[in-house]
Amino acid sequence: MSGAGHVEIDDLTAGYDGARILDLDHLSIHRGEFLSILGPSGCGKTTLLNCVAGFVEPTGGRIVIDGDDVTALPPYRRGLGLVFQNYALFPHMTVADNVAYGLKVRRLGKAEVAERVGEALRLVNLEDFAGRRPRQLSGGQQQRVAIARALAIRPAVLLLDEPLSNLDAKLRREMRVELRTIQRRIGTTMVFVTHDQEEALSLSDRVAVMNAGRIEQLGTPDEVYRRPATRFVAQFIGAANVLEGTVTAAGLLDAGGILVGAGTLRPGSRAVVAIRPERIRLDDAAAPAADGTGAGGTVGYRAFAGDAWHVEVHTASGRTITVQVADTGGGVADPPGAGTAVTLRWDPSDVIILDRDARDPDGDRGGDPAQAAHRAADRDPDGGGP
Amino acid sequence: MTRATRRWRGAGYVLPLVVFLTALFLVPLVQLLRLSFNPVDAYNAALPGFTLSHYGRVLTEPYFYGALLHTLLTAVLVAVLCVLLAYPAAYLLAGRRPGTLRTVLFVIVISPLLTSVVVRTYGWVVLLSGNGVVNRVLVGSGLIDQPAQLLTSYPAVVVSVTHVLLPFAIIPLTTALGGLDHNLHRASQTLGAGPVRTFLRVTVPLSLPGVVTGALIVFALAMGIYITPLLVGGVTEPLAGIRVYDQVTTVFDYPVAAALSFALLVITLLSTTLLGGAFRIWERRLYG
Repeated sequence: MSGAGHVEIDDLTAGYDGARILDLDHLSIHRGEFLSILGPSGCGKTTLLNCVAGFVEPTGGRIVIDGDDVTALPPYRRGLGLVFQNYALFPHMTVADNVAYGLKVRRLGKAEVAERVGEALRLVNLEDFAGRRPRQLSGGQQQRVAIARALAIRPAVLLLDEPLSNLDAKLRREMRVELRTIQRRIGTTMVFVTHDQEEALSLSDRVAVMNAGRIEQLGTPDEVYRRPATRFVAQFIGAANVLEGTVTAAGLLDAGGILVGAGTLRPGSRAVVAIRPERIRLDDAAAPAADGTGAGGTVGYRAFAGDAWHVEVHTASGRTITVQVADTGGGVADPPGAGTAVTLRWDPSDVIILDRDARDPDGDRGGDPAQAAHRAADRDPDGGGP
Repeated sequence: MTRATRRWRGAGYVLPLVVFLTALFLVPLVQLLRLSFNPVDAYNAALPGFTLSHYGRVLTEPYFYGALLHTLLTAVLVAVLCVLLAYPAAYLLAGRRPGTLRTVLFVIVISPLLTSVVVRTYGWVVLLSGNGVVNRVLVGSGLIDQPAQLLTSYPAVVVSVTHVLLPFAIIPLTTALGGLDHNLHRASQTLGAGPVRTFLRVTVPLSLPGVVTGALIVFALAMGIYITPLLVGGVTEPLAGIRVYDQVTTVFDYPVAAALSFALLVITLLSTTLLGGAFRIWERRLYG
């Protein structure tokens, strides 16, 4: 298995009536990793999951699991686990019978079925609920049964389709920890489909950010957050402010009056950068600009969100920049209210260069994600200086 | 507004229906019940008074109780046949996405309900008569030498009654199958169960409420059906409905007809209530 991963997906396409929902170059999933597929609804992430599970027949490409091409296999021959958003427990069976379902299909002996059901229920801390019916359980308990049921067959890969989306916020956080704990303990490869960036970032070893049927970026949570490869990734994860403009003679990016110092930009070129809302500071309008970067503006909207304030600042050129200010408590350092003139400031090290020498706004869309990542990380050999 | 007045306002919504049913169903039913206890004179005309003799006749004369038993067995047979025939059709209907084709299929399924039972039954008479389509095909293909006596045969009665009542089984079954969570099938498949096993272990058990509902509706209707078996099977077909019809139209013994009707009604009510109740209890135990 030199070079070949656990799950290898190549040139996978899927769609109906000419509309291409999925158009994936390559995705390699490592053994034992927790991989999140993150994207907005309609980005193709569920179609990708269904292709892997065998419920959607791809129009092209192949899926190889542990060296076996499973592309043409029906779902019941793939040996994968699947956990659904709505749990999909069999309502006419007890918790134990639900978990035993896949084992009985495999014609295991009674003793072994009982042992593995007990083992799976212990894993999700529900061994006392074996005799209950799904309807008698809470949503969180039902989802844990569903996880136990999927894991009992010892699947090569556990696929999870938005499994936490039906749970309330507190339970969702608890289940997140529990899911990660289970994964660490048993080491099963998990592929987790979600539209929730916080879930994806906090749970995963790697995150694949999808948009319009393609993977825009694949990387560790801190990579996709700190070094987004594309404008889409920067905006979808963390809702970064994306600024586009021409580089001045002084090497600053001028995005409609907003001046951004970004070090290595070539004067005269067009560039796209992103700045995270939490990396922007609000200063008094009168404060002198030390390095000439930043922008003046007026606070248009201010909202308290508990641990932080969300502030929208309108610049003179009509741009709206979102700023997140951590709450310090006590009201001493609260951000100014609507109508106040402010100056926006940031450190050059917090500026993410998405594209230098941009030709058109969507120039890097659909390109090879790895290449785009290199570009963004300022390591592209031929994209650099003059 | 208090809870009590709100409840009475709710009652107001169903008042027209209550009035309608009371005047046109409940009152005649009570009159029929009284009639079944009236003694008769030598010409079978009802007299004032009270007697149990009609019920005595219904329960002791084989002509009547045999008909009740035969009706019960026939209704069970028809209900079973309807459910078996309806299941694949309902499965097909429920599995289709909403769209033109599904609408067309559904209209085809319920189209028999748009024509009168008499018209549909005469269709069977035309098909099954001595030189009808069925006989001509059988003789023409050399399967039989002589046209067979298809009309007035028991199989013809069962087939035609099953045909007439089939939509009543398809509709609740389609609803039940269409309401199943598709993810349950997917869950079953990812756990390694093929289509057949998934169907037997997941689809069938979860569609049982629809099966029971359909079977009960068909059973209740088959217990009282008389036009179709009368036209296809003839007046000698020993079904309770035909016996009632016979008592009313040729013997003119209204009180016995009323007593037989009530015996039939009680049997139908008892069996549907018992079966439905038993299923409800089983269901509650199953789902917790």
